[in-house]
Amino acid sequence: MGRRQYAAILRKDLIRELRTREMLVSMFLFVMLALVIFHFAFSVRAGTDLTYFTGGMLWVTFVFGALLGLNRSFAQEKDEACLDGLLLCPVDRVTIFLAKMSGNLIYLLVIQVLAVPVFSLFFIKTSYAVHLGPFLLVVLLADLGICALGTLLATISMSSRARDLLLPIVFLPLVVPVLIAATAATTGIFARGDGLGSLGGKLLFLAVYDAIFLVAAYGTYEFAIGE
Amino acid sequence: MATDDTHEIEVEGLSKSFGRRPALHEVSFCVQAGGFLSIFGPNGAGKTTILRILATLLRPSGGRASVAGHDVREDPMPVRAAIGVVSHEALLYGDLTAHENLRFYADMYGLADRESRIGELLERLELSHRRDDLVRTFSKGMRQRLAIARAILHRPRVLLLDEPYAGLDPRAAGILDGLLAEIRPDHTFVMVTHALEKGLELATQAIIIEAGEVVFQSAGPVDAAEFAVVYREHVAEGAVA
Repeated sequence: MGRRQYAAILRKDLIRELRTREMLVSMFLFVMLALVIFHFAFSVRAGTDLTYFTGGMLWVTFVFGALLGLNRSFAQEKDEACLDGLLLCPVDRVTIFLAKMSGNLIYLLVIQVLAVPVFSLFFIKTSYAVHLGPFLLVVLLADLGICALGTLLATISMSSRARDLLLPIVFLPLVVPVLIAATAATTGIFARGDGLGSLGGKLLFLAVYDAIFLVAAYGTYEFAIGE
Repeated sequence: MATDDTHEIEVEGLSKSFGRRPALHEVSFCVQAGGFLSIFGPNGAGKTTILRILATLLRPSGGRASVAGHDVREDPMPVRAAIGVVSHEALLYGDLTAHENLRFYADMYGLADRESRIGELLERLELSHRRDDLVRTFSKGMRQRLAIARAILHRPRVLLLDEPYAGLDPRAAGILDGLLAEIRPDHTFVMVTHALEKGLELATQAIIIEAGEVVFQSAGPVDAAEFAVVYREHVAEGAVA
């Protein structure tokens, strides 16, 4: 992988996003609105214990929030007809994938850093900081899977005129394993205080899922981003 | 693949289909190092498809093409390093400044003398005063000048030009003329154009493509008046620029 080229693509995407804030603002608003809606929908009676629903609420929100960003990650290249410029460069296509995936990962992490304190305020009785170590590991592994799969599928769907519809249709069924594992792990952390020992199987599952889609992207990206 | 050393570009029996629709059929031509090939033809004839295959943006369905001694399908990386492309799309990011765009492409091509080369080109293309302005605030002519800077930034051996004069005002066209004349001795050119006069003025050889096939090919410099007659024989009268 060309490190200079990887850094150039990532820096370019981050500069553009900091200027336009297209993805970050839409993802942030969506995630916050979803959490507020969940708060009102489930907290009809004061004092309802929502601890066992926390994992599901959090990861459904993050997956749909990530989808908004993923849909835009290549749309910008297409809208400004810059994809040809990128493809004309003597750069390994896997480098393009890794840089784009890293950008998506950074946007998702930024949104999560902003959303988790709000989530904690609404739904968790104890401070999330107590469980920060295991929770961070779950977040990183789940995010990597979401972004690896999402970036690959966003690339494949970008040439379609119906890309806004196509991406959710192919992404959501394939991301279900991550959703299940991340939800179970997060609920375990906040409801039962599970530590790394108890989460081993779920973390391993997430790591294997990540590895599968990273390898799949490595093997297919040349064709995915081609014609 | 063995290639003729004097031929910078070799195309042999090149075919391309999009699904069932054939876009190119058995196209063959060569361009010598330092040569200038102008490709003419009506809209949809396959001119841009040839250029996109040479640029490694499309994979040929049949036949072969090589640029700078490398097969475009089997060995695309050195081809990409050897070519610069100017198309009617500027391939520039509107939310980045002129300098940031060129810096991005300089890094993508691994340029060692990045800042001096960017400064030199912005100066040459009369864009130094807009160096730190967002490209989306540029006029069409300024974008096209910056696109030319992007295309020659990495000192490519071969320049592929797709209607480079389209939408340029006389000043920008004059700058492009001057730049092409300046870099002409060190480069090989392929230009797709509808502008018969301009295309023939620059060309050392010319071809006419119609419905994906080469219907006329000149081996050497072309007389404009004779070529116009040939062009009208093959292409609808109204298409002549």
